[in-house]
Order: sequence, then structure tokens, then C-alpha cells
Amino acid sequence: MTVSNWKVDYIGFVLPALIFTAWYLVTLEGGVPAYLIPSPSNLVRVAVDFATGHANLTPYAGTLLVHTLASVQRVAMGFGLAVAVGLPLGFLTGRISLAKSSLDSTVHLIRIIPGIGWLPIAMVWFGVGENTTLFLISLAAFFPIYVNAAQGASSVPPLLIRAGRMLGANKLTIFTTVIIPASLPSTLAGLRLGLGISWAYLVLGELTGVTYGLGAVMMDARMLGHAEMILVSMIFIGLFGRISDMILVGSFKRLDLLREENKE
Amino acid sequence: MKVMQRTNLSAEGINKSFSRPGEHDSLKVLEDIRFEIREGEFVSILGPSGCGKSTFLNILAGFEPADSGHAACCGERIREPSPERAVVFQSPVLFPWLSVKDNILYGLKLRKNGRNEAEEIASEYIRAVGLDGFWDYYPSQLSGGMQQRAALARALVLRPKVLLMDEPFAALDAQTRYSMQQLLLGLWENYRHTVVFITHDVEEALLMSDRICIMSKRPGRIIEEITVPFERPRQLSLTGTQEFSMLKGHIFGRLMD
Repeated sequence: MTVSNWKVDYIGFVLPALIFTAWYLVTLEGGVPAYLIPSPSNLVRVAVDFATGHANLTPYAGTLLVHTLASVQRVAMGFGLAVAVGLPLGFLTGRISLAKSSLDSTVHLIRIIPGIGWLPIAMVWFGVGENTTLFLISLAAFFPIYVNAAQGASSVPPLLIRAGRMLGANKLTIFTTVIIPASLPSTLAGLRLGLGISWAYLVLGELTGVTYGLGAVMMDARMLGHAEMILVSMIFIGLFGRISDMILVGSFKRLDLLREENKE
Repeated sequence: MKVMQRTNLSAEGINKSFSRPGEHDSLKVLEDIRFEIREGEFVSILGPSGCGKSTFLNILAGFEPADSGHAACCGERIREPSPERAVVFQSPVLFPWLSVKDNILYGLKLRKNGRNEAEEIASEYIRAVGLDGFWDYYPSQLSGGMQQRAALARALVLRPKVLLMDEPFAALDAQTRYSMQQLLLGLWENYRHTVVFITHDVEEALLMSDRICIMSKRPGRIIEEITVPFERPRQLSLTGTQEFSMLKGHIFGRLMD
């Protein structure tokens, strides 16, 4: 493993710098009013205050941790539920034709309905807030996890399975020692998509009305006219989404590393 | 010279057809195959491509059932794959996510050998195929010939009752193929495995085997069995002798029939 992928490509910084400059220019005195687009410096101050609470610039000063914990917990639970159901069902569908014929077409039928389309009925069933959010996250994250696990499991080369069988693996050990490792790349892709979608549906669910959570802050700030807090919340959601993706990919790489260390 | 040896693997009246997509009749691939191999014997099944020889090996391995007939290993009917009948495929078919060592340990671990014992056996065979120093390499880091060596070690390490080899060197370049043939001959002198060796290469069959079963074009039948008269250990120079050429000519004649 080399660090060559950390090589900096300066051209990548040009567009953000231009956007930043334009943003700064339009917020100068006499430009777009601050209640529509806050200036970069104001945004940074509000963001720091949101985290530390030292200046009490907004009603949300110092509450970042509480809201983040609430949001992260919802994502973890919703995504965890989607993984717990999606991975086993996906692997089964990918390998067992009975599971595929009895399950797959129904799943794909439901998949066509956009996740947002579930919002009204979810609110009827689960009320506004907590449980609706969990339902929406796990429903939306389920599909990419399921589809990719199934795809990975069904495209394992048959010769690899024959090799495992003639080396003495029974059907169950073939599953754990051949099919799962062979479909890992596709499975990981599904998990990453699912995790990304979890953050999207977190915001949707939280907008319906929860007390704590980054989505709740956005909705609340809109009503109180704090445009800068809406943007700050958006930035933090993006940041945490990215971090959670890095943790997911990192833990998969870590598993690989551990396997290599076992060989000494 | 031959002592009484047990029959290791036998097949009787094997028939196999495949259904053809879009057609009513099926394609007859194997017809009434009778085959027998004794313990410690090296037998080649030689035939033109498409004659069904690989299908026959798949039946012996337990990957596919025969339509009719009876195949047995040491008196036990063959129903499914087993490490008693280890296979070396035409391509290496190693597990790409495992190192060479773990690929070779795979079957031993399933057999619940103790870790130390398993590693000892594995290192013996890894040396025997000339791969010491490559324990921790992954298959993608090895050449085709080295991957095939690892595949050979992975099968041998299980000490199978019979080793089934499906054109194992056909995909290699000439030089690598030659060194793999030498390696296999050397291993065979040492361990005397029972080997069923599928090939379409007449010279390879003559060089390696005690006996050659010639298969006809589809539907494959065994049309002649030849006991190879050459003394062992055999060298490549054997291929230049007159007796070798005459046998080779005879076999070519049969294959053309």
C-alpha cells in the first residue's frame, strides 16, 4: 500500500476557489443581503459557535454534539437494520434460485416506488419523527445493499465453487469461505451506497419533526430566519456522511490487513 | 513386474448427453465409457477437442452426474466432489483473496488437521512444486505457470486417492509446459499418485503415462487403450526415438479416424 493516492492535484482546487471568491464578492456590503446568503466569515463564526457555544451567536450555540449524536444514532440504527436484513436476503437471492424466484421480483417492484413516496404513509403508520425516520432510512438503504449483495453472490465464478467443493467444503462452508469473500467488492459498493442514502433519508425524516438532529436544526433555523445555520447544518451533514463512508471503507481495508498479518 | 494392485477408480457404461438450446434432440457427448485405473497408475485420456473428455473427468470428480452408468472410487459410488478425488483444472482457479499458503492450507483446514501439522504438510508440498519463498504472495502476483504449481500443491497436499488433471498444462507456453511436465514426472516418481490426466497432446500423453485411453470424436467412446512401453524415469530425449515416433504416428492415425 503506497501513499501515491495522496498526491495533490492542484487543478482540483481551482473551481472551489472560484466559487469561494464569487461567494465572498456577492456578500460584500451592498450585495445579496445576509438573510439570504451569509458571508463566508460569518458562516465560519456561526459554525464554530455551533460547536463550542462560546459566543452565543444563534439559539443553537454549543448544541452541535447533541444534534450530531441524535442524527448519528438514527443513521446507525436505520443503516444497521438495512444491513441486517439486506445482506442475508441479498446473498440468499444471489445463490438460491428458490429465494430469487420468490423474492426478487417483489423487491424490485417495491424498489421502483421512490423512497420519498413512503413519507406520507410512514407518518400515518409511525407518526412524525423518530420511528418514521428509522423506517425511511432502513427502507431506502435496504435496496442498494440487497441488490449489490445478490449481484456479487450470483456472479461468483462457478469454477471457484467447484474448486472449493473438491477441496472438501460442504455447501455451508462454500458460502462462508468462497461466496462471501468472492462477492466482497460488490457487497462493499452496496454498503457504501446504502450508507450515503441513509444520510439523505435521515434529513428527510428529521424534517418531519424531531427535537434533536441536524435535520431538525435546519428546519427550525428556516423558521427563525437563520439562513447561516441551515448552511452550517448542511455542511456538517456532508462532513459526517463523508467520515462515515471513510470509516466503512477503512474497516473493510482493515479486515484485509488483518488477514495479511495472520500469515506471518 | 506389477504387483497385484487395487482398482482405484472405475467407470462402467457411462453415457452423457446435453440438451441443446432451441432443439428437440440432445447432444450425445459420452457413449458407453468403460474405464479403470489401478493404484499408482498414471493414465491419460487422449482425444480431439470437443470429444467429451473433460465431461468425463467432471463425472469422475463428481461435478456432474452421468445420465446412466456407474462410476466408483475405491468401491464407493461417486455422487459429489471429494478431496479423495482432487482436481487440477486447466486454469489454476486459486482463490484470489488468499495467499499461496492459505490457498494450499484451505483443504487441510477443512479437514481439521492441527495447525502445525497442516503447515508442515503444506510446506513439504510447496517446496516440492518449487514455490518456497512465495508463501505470502497472492495469486495475481504470480505467473501462470507458478499459479498452476500452487494449484498442483493445493491438490497434492490432500493426499488424494486419485488426482484428476483436466488439461492442466494446455494453457501454458511451450517452455513452461515442458518444465511443468518435468515437475509432474518428478513428483510422480516420488509419490506415485494415481493420476487421470486429460490431454489432447499426443507427445504429452506418451511422455507422462503408463497407459493411454484414446477417445473418438463426439460422441466420445474409448476406441483404444495403449500401454506405454517406455522405461521410467523418462526424459524429453525420449521423444526423439524411433519407437516413440512410431507410437505417436499410430495414435495420430487413430485420432483421425
